[in-house]
Amino acid sequence: MKTAICRIFTAAAVATALSLSAVLSEGARAAETSGPAPSAADETCLACHGQDGMSKTFPNDDSVSLHVDGRAFAASVHGPLGCSSCHAEIDLANHPGGGKPFASARVFSIAMARVCSQCHEDKAKLFEGSVHASALRAGNLAAPVCTDCHGEHAVVHKVPTANDVSCRKCHGAIFDAYLQSPHGKAYGKPGLMKAPICADCHRAHDVSPASTGTGLRDACLGCHTNAVEAHQKWLPNTKLHLQVVSCPACHAPTSQKRVDLRLYDPVTKRDVTAKDEQARLDVPAGASSGTVLDSKALWDLMRGVDRNGVPGRMTLVGRLDVRSGAEAHQLTDKSKAIRDCVVCHRKGADPFKNVTISIIGPDGRPIRYEAKQNVLHGPGSVEALSGFYAIGGTRIGLLDVLLALALLAGISAPVAHLVLRRLSRRRQSAEQRAAGKGE
Amino acid sequence: MIRNQRTGTMRKLYVHPLPVRIWHWINALGFVLLILSGLQIRYSGAIQLMSFATAVQTHNVLGGVLILNYFVWLLFYLFTDKIRVYHPELNPAKHFRGSLRQLWYYGYGIFKGQPNPHHVSVYRKFNPLQSMTYQIVMILLVPIQFYTGVLLWDVTRFSASIQLFGGVRVVDTVHVVLFIFFIGFIFIHPYLASLGHTTMAHFKAMVTGYEEVEDEPGRGEPR
Repeated sequence: MKTAICRIFTAAAVATALSLSAVLSEGARAAETSGPAPSAADETCLACHGQDGMSKTFPNDDSVSLHVDGRAFAASVHGPLGCSSCHAEIDLANHPGGGKPFASARVFSIAMARVCSQCHEDKAKLFEGSVHASALRAGNLAAPVCTDCHGEHAVVHKVPTANDVSCRKCHGAIFDAYLQSPHGKAYGKPGLMKAPICADCHRAHDVSPASTGTGLRDACLGCHTNAVEAHQKWLPNTKLHLQVVSCPACHAPTSQKRVDLRLYDPVTKRDVTAKDEQARLDVPAGASSGTVLDSKALWDLMRGVDRNGVPGRMTLVGRLDVRSGAEAHQLTDKSKAIRDCVVCHRKGADPFKNVTISIIGPDGRPIRYEAKQNVLHGPGSVEALSGFYAIGGTRIGLLDVLLALALLAGISAPVAHLVLRRLSRRRQSAEQRAAGKGE
Repeated sequence: MIRNQRTGTMRKLYVHPLPVRIWHWINALGFVLLILSGLQIRYSGAIQLMSFATAVQTHNVLGGVLILNYFVWLLFYLFTDKIRVYHPELNPAKHFRGSLRQLWYYGYGIFKGQPNPHHVSVYRKFNPLQSMTYQIVMILLVPIQFYTGVLLWDVTRFSASIQLFGGVRVVDTVHVVLFIFFIGFIFIHPYLASLGHTTMAHFKAMVTGYEEVEDEPGRGEPR
């Protein structure tokens, strides 16, 4: 009897388990088949490309997966367009095997990404002006293209979470610093304002070099709309400070600073590029990366620039910035920002210990040449650095000597004259007394 | 109107009208404070007379006050006949001789108890050296100092003028070179002022308006 009851319970348990298993697997199948199905034409492609492990190998032994998740593609924003919209170059008569050969998987990916511009002309145009596109044109295959950020087939509209931002693939250290900043900590959290992520400041497609132009400052001021007024309450020459001091230089207080002196054309009001001046820029164009320019070299450089161009046209525009992209993202709460003017406005201040001279390189990023600190303090800087001066911090040493002489002369001349007057008066009195006695 | 007040062998001559005295003492106090705040601005980290921010604010406000004060001086002299004290000596030989005589007095004669070759009168209150110095200071150096100061006060607003001047570092260098000159001047000027017939005579005169001059017939009348 006991054994029979046990058998009944066991059978019931097995039946329950089997039913549950059947229900779960049905659910799983339903989930697999939810969403739009690929079109009949796409199914033709997927007959091969839907198979796991399908890949293409390149002459350099790179390989790229040719597997496409049909359901994911069909559910993507490009699903209704079908495979042939982007892969119009495929000639079924010669496929597989036909088509243009590619040297590597990366070259293949870059070439395939160009197809996006057929529909996304506006975005492609923005991208073409970006630092990424410039790097690509300059031969940097690591520069990102459309598919590196948006994916190849399963392209969907979504707001990225901090963890799946594609920028971090290349800019990991910068992104880690961002995550520790007030922006990174607030990102994705509900609030009055949406905290920014990479593309909000650097823009998604027309990404410009972070250390050139006014784009990043404008991005800061775009959200922090009362920042100018807030600075004007305590910061003299606010507009100038906002022009020549990058926001992180004060708002990332632990960052190392540097002064970057950039060649600038005041007539065209733009930075001079290596492309513009290649024939004329003797020192920077010829200098190796290890070259450290001193006052004399800087003087020669500026004279060299003017020699073959319009005399006196070029100038150097200085800017106080942080030394690295990661440091630029080490922003802190504004209560911890640098507010003490003397951090910069004193002789020997840290920001003026690191000096670079730069011109804009072919890819839009600055090419920097290290310079000695004395380029900021020498008498020659009056001409060579006429457009950059930070009170106290970059003062000319020779003028300090002149001041000391003026003080010395101003005090010693009256004192010496006074002493001589007293002595001569005493002598005159003595002479008069002697003359009186003589009479 | 010339006011004379006989006091024994010395007579009092009204040489410094009230607007000039007001201008002078505001200028004197302003210059001292501008020099102190200027030193603090330029040498922050090395000296601590006041905070950098206070120094900048003080320097800016005082600069504005002294510019307005300059116009008190300018308008007074432009619209009164007292401008004659600043009329240059058009005869270079005469001017040169007078300057040399004055230099000789300061460098030698004064030690020998010789009298000052210059005799103050209402329209000749400056000796030839002073006349030349004050013309340069008041008509050239002070306006340049004010102009460069205004440019540095708001570098962005006056960027076009700064560019015309040759750049912000050029403007600053000119401002600092003149600042150095005025530092020397601020020591020399009161010392020379103490070389009257008594140490305090010229200081008192700049308060009361009356210079005490030797009572010599014919002196003190308008030229």
